[in-house]
Amino acid sequence: MSIYLTRRDRLQGGPTLDPVTLWRYNVKARLRLEFCFHRVTGNTDVFEQQWAHEELLCRVTGGEIKELCQQFPHGITDQVIQNDMPHLEPQQRAMAINKLLSLGQLDLLRNSSGLLYRMKDMQSTSKMKGSDNQEKLVYQIIEDAGNKGIWSRDIRFKSNLPLTEINKILKNLESKKLIKAVKSVAASKKKVYMLYNLQPDRSVTGGAWYSDQDFESEFVEVLNQQCFKFLQSKAEAARDSKQSPMVQRNSSFATSHEVWKYICELGISKVDLSMDDIETILNTLIYDGKVEMTVIAAKEGTVGSVDGQMKLYRGVNPVIQPTGVVRTPCGLCPVFEDCHEGGEISPSNCIYMTEWLDF
Amino acid sequence: MTAQEVRLCGLLLQEHFGEVVAKVGTHLLKSGAQNLRTIIHETGISLDLVKKSLCVLVQHGTCVFSSGRKAPGSPTEYRTSCDRILRILRYPRYIYTAKTLYGDTGELIIEELLQRGDMTMSSTVKTVADRLTQNMEEGRSMDYSEVSSAFSKLVETHFLQRCPPMAGAGTKDSGTPATPATPAIPESFPDCYRVPHVTLIGRGKRRLSNEDGEDQRNAKKTKMDSETHGDEGIYWQVNFERFHLHFRDQAIISAVANKLDQTSSEIVRTMLRMSEVTTSPTATCTKPLSANEIFRSLPSSYNIPRPILDQYLTLLVDDPMEFVGKAGESGGGMYVVNLHKALANLARATLESVVQERFGSRSARIFRLLLRKRHLEQKQVEDFAMIPAKEAKDMLYTLLSQNLVQLQEIPKTPDYAPSRTFYLYTVNQLPTARMLLQNCYKTVANLIERRLFESKESKRLLEKSQRIEAILASLQASGAEPEQLTEVEEMITAPEKQQLEALRLHINKLDSAENQVDETIFLLESYVNSTATS
Repeated sequence: MSIYLTRRDRLQGGPTLDPVTLWRYNVKARLRLEFCFHRVTGNTDVFEQQWAHEELLCRVTGGEIKELCQQFPHGITDQVIQNDMPHLEPQQRAMAINKLLSLGQLDLLRNSSGLLYRMKDMQSTSKMKGSDNQEKLVYQIIEDAGNKGIWSRDIRFKSNLPLTEINKILKNLESKKLIKAVKSVAASKKKVYMLYNLQPDRSVTGGAWYSDQDFESEFVEVLNQQCFKFLQSKAEAARDSKQSPMVQRNSSFATSHEVWKYICELGISKVDLSMDDIETILNTLIYDGKVEMTVIAAKEGTVGSVDGQMKLYRGVNPVIQPTGVVRTPCGLCPVFEDCHEGGEISPSNCIYMTEWLDF
Repeated sequence: MTAQEVRLCGLLLQEHFGEVVAKVGTHLLKSGAQNLRTIIHETGISLDLVKKSLCVLVQHGTCVFSSGRKAPGSPTEYRTSCDRILRILRYPRYIYTAKTLYGDTGELIIEELLQRGDMTMSSTVKTVADRLTQNMEEGRSMDYSEVSSAFSKLVETHFLQRCPPMAGAGTKDSGTPATPATPAIPESFPDCYRVPHVTLIGRGKRRLSNEDGEDQRNAKKTKMDSETHGDEGIYWQVNFERFHLHFRDQAIISAVANKLDQTSSEIVRTMLRMSEVTTSPTATCTKPLSANEIFRSLPSSYNIPRPILDQYLTLLVDDPMEFVGKAGESGGGMYVVNLHKALANLARATLESVVQERFGSRSARIFRLLLRKRHLEQKQVEDFAMIPAKEAKDMLYTLLSQNLVQLQEIPKTPDYAPSRTFYLYTVNQLPTARMLLQNCYKTVANLIERRLFESKESKRLLEKSQRIEAILASLQASGAEPEQLTEVEEMITAPEKQQLEALRLHINKLDSAENQVDETIFLLESYVNSTATS
């Protein structure tokens, strides 16, 4: 067709164009027409199959975006693509991205500035080789859950696959060491799945206070006592120092960092405790009424200061002795409510009272 | 007025004034103001007895009467209140306080006044002096003037007050035939207790010392002489409120001593003593005192230099219990004692201590946690208190079932579906304190019941031992042979002796327990009252 046109032009003696160029223009025009048609009807894949001829004639833009993404391993925003490829229309761009997403080569992330596109790890895709779409889907769901993990029932809801199928896939993935099952502390029977190389979140393992999803209350108690002992000895030393009351008070304070160091040096803990862990322990002491806390401003860079603040703790004495009523049997009586004179349980025949009197 | 209070009041009345008075008293408590006729009708007690018991109640200030509400001239109605009757429980403490503050004389004065309800000064002084003389060695005796000076000291410190003159009772003060000066004084100060005392005491003292010469020798004889002393019609009673203020101050001082140290508590004591007179009983905090004033009033024996005092005051202000607050900067800093806040803090400590002793320290941790953080979900409680979920749940539910912790539901949807509802645990201090107060009343009542039971059980034994003691005394008086005495003594067998000893131990234990519980009651009562006034 282009040859015919060039010949006609030459015959008419008009300005001639070389037939190859003309053909190219024609093809371009035709392609655009077809592309627009297919885009409107919504099946670009068909267009690609019919017209792209394995990207000989044209290709659906995507490769460029892919390249761009590889340059920025942390992901790029829509804006970056736009700047880099000004020739692309927004719709084309969107389509290209959609295609990459559906092929599983691109990840869509959301951050504070908006949507973010990122190349998928070639690793993970390579790992996924030889697995079918369902497996990929499940893998993706688990990956999305991050280090919090995901429960198999939630996977079922998200993937709409039958439970048996999912179990099979999970077993499969587990055997490939792509994912692992972690028991959650929140519910001991609940298993959550996460990627194999991830460190489970604190909410799943419960942090330093759990071993095999059992809360180590003894460990907490021991730490609680040790912290208190430390603060108390400090307070006592301050009291014995016979200095002015202000100095005495100030020297009875210990920063959370000091407590942390003391506990670390004691070596009671098998696991590494963080400052935060120690602070939670110290908080329990506050709720025990044995310790007081104040926050003071600290110079930036002082050890143990967080955001220019330093938490100071000190051991204190209780305000009152056990109050009178609990020194009687009635104050501790488990059947206090049922006790009436003349009844089955009465002060006259109370066994607690008898024991107490004979004590 | 709760069932527990009424029960306790009944027991207290029974113990102090006997069965009939208790019956009349509880009847009045249960049915409110009533006239004489209704009381007789409803209790089924004879007119004479009812009258007598009402007299007893009125004498002790536990019962008031007023003319009928329905119409002028309708029969006089009688009314009692729990508060006043419950004071009986605290009598030992009043007496003990008087002893520590003013020695034996003060103790006996308060004791006499408490036992008789109200008395004139002259008769009080006389009785006390007689009693003191009786306990002294032969040949020595107590001077009236000493007793009366102790009495006037008690009045000066407001521990004693004059009974308000009876308005409609027909015993008008002016009507009493007394010395010429007296009538004017009570008339011009009808309900003020303090001002007239000074003049009255001066005269009373003079009168008493005048008669010393003739009377002292036969002071031992406890006969009432018919001579007038110039204070007829002026009756005195114990000022319970003043004692309570004293107890409150003591509680605050000892709390400061526990929390900080002895020196701080002495500073607080000085501050409280300085403001004793200037601060009204219901004030939330004392009148501001400057550091200079405090420094000058500190007893020199403490030897606290000025800069150290300033430091102590700063420490007291900084303390999270907030016993002492700073009111201003003038005069080297103005300081106040936060009375109500201190009471609230002490009451909170009491609640915490009850939870701690009854449910263990971990439950107490949860309780304190909720007190501090107000509203928490179950999960948060577990995390903050670092208690395993299972145990925390158990403890929370136990506390909830005992009404020490409350549960607040906040539904996201109006249908209160459990899955869409927040369940917040919280502690309400005041209602909890009230509940605990009721428990305390019940506890005391239980202890009294038990004590009555114990003594009833070994009634025969007690009577026997009393009889034998009486015989021994009479034998000794008549100068019997020692063999006779041992013979009589042996009438009580060894096991019986043992039993008596055990009984005495039991009763002492129960008695002291009653007093201890009363301390708790006092703290909680004053806290509840302080919230009512502030």
